[in-house]
Amino acid sequence: MLLPMDPSLTVLLYASGAALASVPGGLVRWTPGDRRHAWIGWAHALSAGGMLGAAFVLTAVPEVPAVPAAVGGVLGVIFIVLSHTLTGAGSVDLSRPDAGDPSHGYRLVLIHMLHACTEGVAIGVAMAVDLSLGVFVALAIAVHNIPEAVILAAATRDLGFGRRGTVGLAVLSNLGQPLLALTTWVVVAALPSALSWALGLAVGALLNLVLTELLPSSYREAGSKSIALVASVALGLVVLLGGVLP
Amino acid sequence: MMSVALVFAYGLATALATGLGALPFAFVRTVSDRTVGRLNALASGLMLGASFGLLAEARRFGGWQTFIGVILGVLFILAANRFLEERHVHPGAGSAGASEGKEGLRRMVLIVTVMTVHSFAEGVAIGTSFGGGMALAAFITVAIAVHNIPEGVAISAVLRSNGVGTARCAGWSIVSSLPQPLMAVPAFLFVEAFAPALPYGIGFAAGAMVFMVLLEVLPEAYGQGSAREIGAITSVSMIAMILFQRMVGS
Repeated sequence: MLLPMDPSLTVLLYASGAALASVPGGLVRWTPGDRRHAWIGWAHALSAGGMLGAAFVLTAVPEVPAVPAAVGGVLGVIFIVLSHTLTGAGSVDLSRPDAGDPSHGYRLVLIHMLHACTEGVAIGVAMAVDLSLGVFVALAIAVHNIPEAVILAAATRDLGFGRRGTVGLAVLSNLGQPLLALTTWVVVAALPSALSWALGLAVGALLNLVLTELLPSSYREAGSKSIALVASVALGLVVLLGGVLP
Repeated sequence: MMSVALVFAYGLATALATGLGALPFAFVRTVSDRTVGRLNALASGLMLGASFGLLAEARRFGGWQTFIGVILGVLFILAANRFLEERHVHPGAGSAGASEGKEGLRRMVLIVTVMTVHSFAEGVAIGTSFGGGMALAAFITVAIAVHNIPEGVAISAVLRSNGVGTARCAGWSIVSSLPQPLMAVPAFLFVEAFAPALPYGIGFAAGAMVFMVLLEVLPEAYGQGSAREIGAITSVSMIAMILFQRMVGS
């Protein structure tokens, strides 16, 4: 899975790959209808389980001191809460491309840009612990980027963007992933004591994203039983795959 | 014979510790809808955090065993849920209030069942730890006893929000941990037979707990408060539980 190259290039390559996973999602022409809502709910549940799994794999890194990591975790939660409050994007329903409000599509782009930043920190910090762990977290986030792009594309199409525009915006909203992955990786490499803080921050932000946004909107789309099933099995699979790593 | 009694006593001590989780609820007089949502969020975070601890423990024995255990745990809750639905909830029967009460009852039975099932694995852990000497056994027992207190909080949060009194919350918390002394003794006597089953058992407990939270406790919490508040409480209590387990475990 790992190519022989400079580690910083590995970080950049895989984080960019994760961001580019939004391209196929942006090309899917999805129009919200009653029956298709269930599909989008399951896709969200899949990424919720995957991101819970990524958070688990990060918390299971044994050599990280627990207290600074937990403080970082609480800071991560506060970061997501604050960023939503400050941008006025806290009430945006992620699974609805149209809310009768023309600013909804733009808010969706903004909120995804903020998410992408915390996801970038998660990739970078995982890369700093171990490159193959980082590749693994990048893969989990890539999977999550696909349904996210499907909804974003539907919303931006409503704003009058063509196919290139929708795909371009989907990729642009994930720009924070490679940028913050590389920044985090460089900072942690230069300042090893920052690792536990950054790791905690990433875990706290991932957990809060799953619990504040992905799960509530997926429950609305597909009901609790199928969502619980998809998310639990996805979590189990990620734990299984994460166990293969050193 | 003396040592069997000792193993049982250690297991019983951890079970009684679970009852301490009901204590904070002695100071809460009335429970509003909003408080119920917050309590459910707290319970979700504590249980998700606990299942992260269980997964980390089970994974040391083998990933596939853990995964199979998780799937079996999910299937177990699905089956238990269907069984309870068939017995207690008949759509259309009774007033809205009565069916709501039955929903609450089903949820309470499920959480006590899940916690009881996961105590089996902990009981086995106590019993097998005696094979590593008294010091290890004492340490593991204290660790599990302390770890049981927030689990008691989780159970009591769900029970209390359904109108159950504090003493009964403590009682059910202790009942949910009774498999600990009961399983510790056979696990101590037949360590070799029990050890290979541990990763499946712990994975089972984790899968059942995660699925229970995602199926019942979280959706209810989202219905009682804003997603932002519920999400933040759940995330922070989950982080606290993970920290707590790391501190007790290291």
